[in-house]
Amino acid sequence: MPPTVTINAPLNRVEGDLEVTAEIKDGVVADAWCSGTMYRGIEKILVGRGPMDGLVITPRICGICSMSHLTAAAKALDCITGAAPPPDAVRMRNVLLMTEHVQSDLRHTFLTFAGDFTNPAHSGLEHYDEAVKRYEPFKGETVLEVLRESAKLLEIIAIIGGQWPHSAFMVPGGIVSAPSSRSRLQCKMILRHFREWYEKRILGCSIERIQELASLEGLEALLDEGHSSRVSDLSFFTSFSRSLGLHQMGKGHGAFICYGALELPQGTAIKGAKEGPFLIPAGFSQGGRLTEFDQARVAEHVAHSWYEDYSGGLHPAKGETRPYATGYEAKKYSWAKAPRYDGLPAETGPLAEMVMAERPLFRDLLDKCGPSAFVRQLARLLRPAWLIPVIDAWLEEATGEEGFYNSPEGIQDGEGFGLTQASRGALGHWVRIRNGAIDHYQIISPTGWNASPRDSSGTRGPIEEALLGTTVRDPENPVELGFVVRSFDVCLVCTVHALHRGNRTVLRMNRA
Amino acid sequence: MPHTLYWLQCGGCGGDTMSLLNLESPGLIETLEMLDIEVLWHPSLSRNSAAAHRRLQEDLASGAKPLDFLVVEGAVIRGPGGTGMFDTIERKPKKELVAALARRARFVLAAGTCASFGGISAAGETEATGLQFLRDRKGGFLGSEFASAEGLPVINLPGCPCHCEALSGTMAALATGAALELDEWNSPMEWYGMQVHQGCLRNEYHEYRVEDDDFGKRGCLFFHLGCQGPLTHGPCNKVLWGRRSSKTRIGVPCVGCTRPDFPPPYPFFRTRNIAGIPLDLPEGVDRAHYMAYKGMAAAAAPQRLIDRKTRL
Repeated sequence: MPPTVTINAPLNRVEGDLEVTAEIKDGVVADAWCSGTMYRGIEKILVGRGPMDGLVITPRICGICSMSHLTAAAKALDCITGAAPPPDAVRMRNVLLMTEHVQSDLRHTFLTFAGDFTNPAHSGLEHYDEAVKRYEPFKGETVLEVLRESAKLLEIIAIIGGQWPHSAFMVPGGIVSAPSSRSRLQCKMILRHFREWYEKRILGCSIERIQELASLEGLEALLDEGHSSRVSDLSFFTSFSRSLGLHQMGKGHGAFICYGALELPQGTAIKGAKEGPFLIPAGFSQGGRLTEFDQARVAEHVAHSWYEDYSGGLHPAKGETRPYATGYEAKKYSWAKAPRYDGLPAETGPLAEMVMAERPLFRDLLDKCGPSAFVRQLARLLRPAWLIPVIDAWLEEATGEEGFYNSPEGIQDGEGFGLTQASRGALGHWVRIRNGAIDHYQIISPTGWNASPRDSSGTRGPIEEALLGTTVRDPENPVELGFVVRSFDVCLVCTVHALHRGNRTVLRMNRA
Repeated sequence: MPHTLYWLQCGGCGGDTMSLLNLESPGLIETLEMLDIEVLWHPSLSRNSAAAHRRLQEDLASGAKPLDFLVVEGAVIRGPGGTGMFDTIERKPKKELVAALARRARFVLAAGTCASFGGISAAGETEATGLQFLRDRKGGFLGSEFASAEGLPVINLPGCPCHCEALSGTMAALATGAALELDEWNSPMEWYGMQVHQGCLRNEYHEYRVEDDDFGKRGCLFFHLGCQGPLTHGPCNKVLWGRRSSKTRIGVPCVGCTRPDFPPPYPFFRTRNIAGIPLDLPEGVDRAHYMAYKGMAAAAAPQRLIDRKTRL
């Protein structure tokens, strides 16, 4: 292999269109550029429209996390109107958002991420045949089961919210439906069925056992037990990931951001991971140091994005979206903007949530091995173990005695924001209503954080940084880069606001 | 030989794929097997290497490999200035690939409103269009004269997202040679020959003009809350979502997402009125007669409906 090569390899199984260019020296990634290749201009579509139109338009930014956009849009309008949703409306909003996370975590892990386990590049590995048997696209045993069970789980969203994807059942002040006790019971039974399948086939143990894990050794001991008649997917996933070296790949900046999510409704028996208003705490963490999160410290840069330049970063309440398609010239290379917190890049997603929640298992894994493609994906695969019992509890508690809707009696002019955690991480909508219409709408999506290009100081985005040092054995089939990028669960349709230059490796992850 | 299918995602959100993954009884994989459809490529599911995918695209475009179904999801993005650079694949405009594959396919299916009519994507500045319509005007990206290799226009399966049963049912009909009657928008009558309003559990409230002006109640959503159910063709209340429910059943006003003019230029969730009567009446209804009918209907409304006692 010559000392410096450039790859040109399309990848798919990301939502939206992403291209990664990597410069490879002596078989190792020396530099990387990450770019979104599609612009849809949703933020500009919203300006001038009716004050509630964000509830209909923004879920349609992304078919894979429409409930998250609906949550952010509804919360922004709660903020503007001052409407306080009754506690049971908060429960139902949370239940549907968490249901979306659970199906997404399983579909991503086994339909998207594990698809690469079946790449012929790994055919020399022990248990490759088993990987194919489980994860072969359209055929694998686990693939079929995940499709079947995730579709059934989503019936919960249909029952309470009318349809998935793209409902608008959240409105400022609550939700439009008043789920009966019979509906809630139906949902609980669907959830119970899903939980039993998740425990038996995916985890190979109870959810409680997972929650109790406190260390890498504990996880290894659990997986060695072999108490299940079939090797669980968690066990297979873990051992095959290790034989691929995924625990030593994709480190990144080591900075994490989480806006905080799933407000604890008044009177609930559920406790948050820490003191505070959320089940999943907000925070910013760098190098193991955790600080409080303040949305005022978020800013977006466009120095390397295809937008008209402004200097430094702008808070999204002042943000601008003015496309400027220069093509593949020197500096600009992405339709994604570059969000920064206190000027710093940060990754977001289930692992960031585990960091903020200070889950002992993940603290131990990060202490011992640092962030990696494996740890990121493990956090995603295990997140349902913390969510499922809470979904069940809130379905039980939401008797509706105080109703599900406090009408704001119209929407006055004002400014506000709605922050939440989407399946892929931190999501925010910043909105201004003026003269009875939307005057300003800026969205920062989780993939905006993760797949960010360089900022005005030239600092790499999280995926760009995570790709550094990755060994690429075959530039014609750079499957290692795919693992690193997909461990961030990239969803570029949200970002919609990636390309390259020169003779560098272009690793394309697009849909076509 | 199996039927071949290539799925192309353009300017959209991927929601039609998400909808399709929810197919149940039988599920997606089982359905494809029964219909003997081989998916050559689906961007969310396939694992072909980059080089193999590029070869496949070339073989399909040249006709060396036969293509039975081309399914397009998302609008064709033509901007800025007709260059297509707002949506590229391997640095080339994706629209070129759409044109190359559409020329060869036996059947071209537009999955969702963006691919059918432009939808949300066409509301912006990206010069996006549907395959054979731009909103309600025939033409679109491929032109009004376009016919696929079987002599059919683009079959439009609108909806935001497209209902999975409309898509699987249409593929089943085409794969087995069953009759498929199309309406004026080239959508199959089986799923688009009825209004969303049909089958809504609030129909009795509608019948007696028991109308709500805020969310969270049991009455009809048409007079005040912008419901488009009586003006929108689609199977939401015929086949339901997740086989369980629909937006209007649980209280979300229909937003008219299968309509060629979706999204409308006026706000959602607010009915435009003239003298208390909606400006846009149920399809094909005469205003004078409708006003007389609604006046009498309101007078005849039973107390149990006025009190919102009838459950949904």
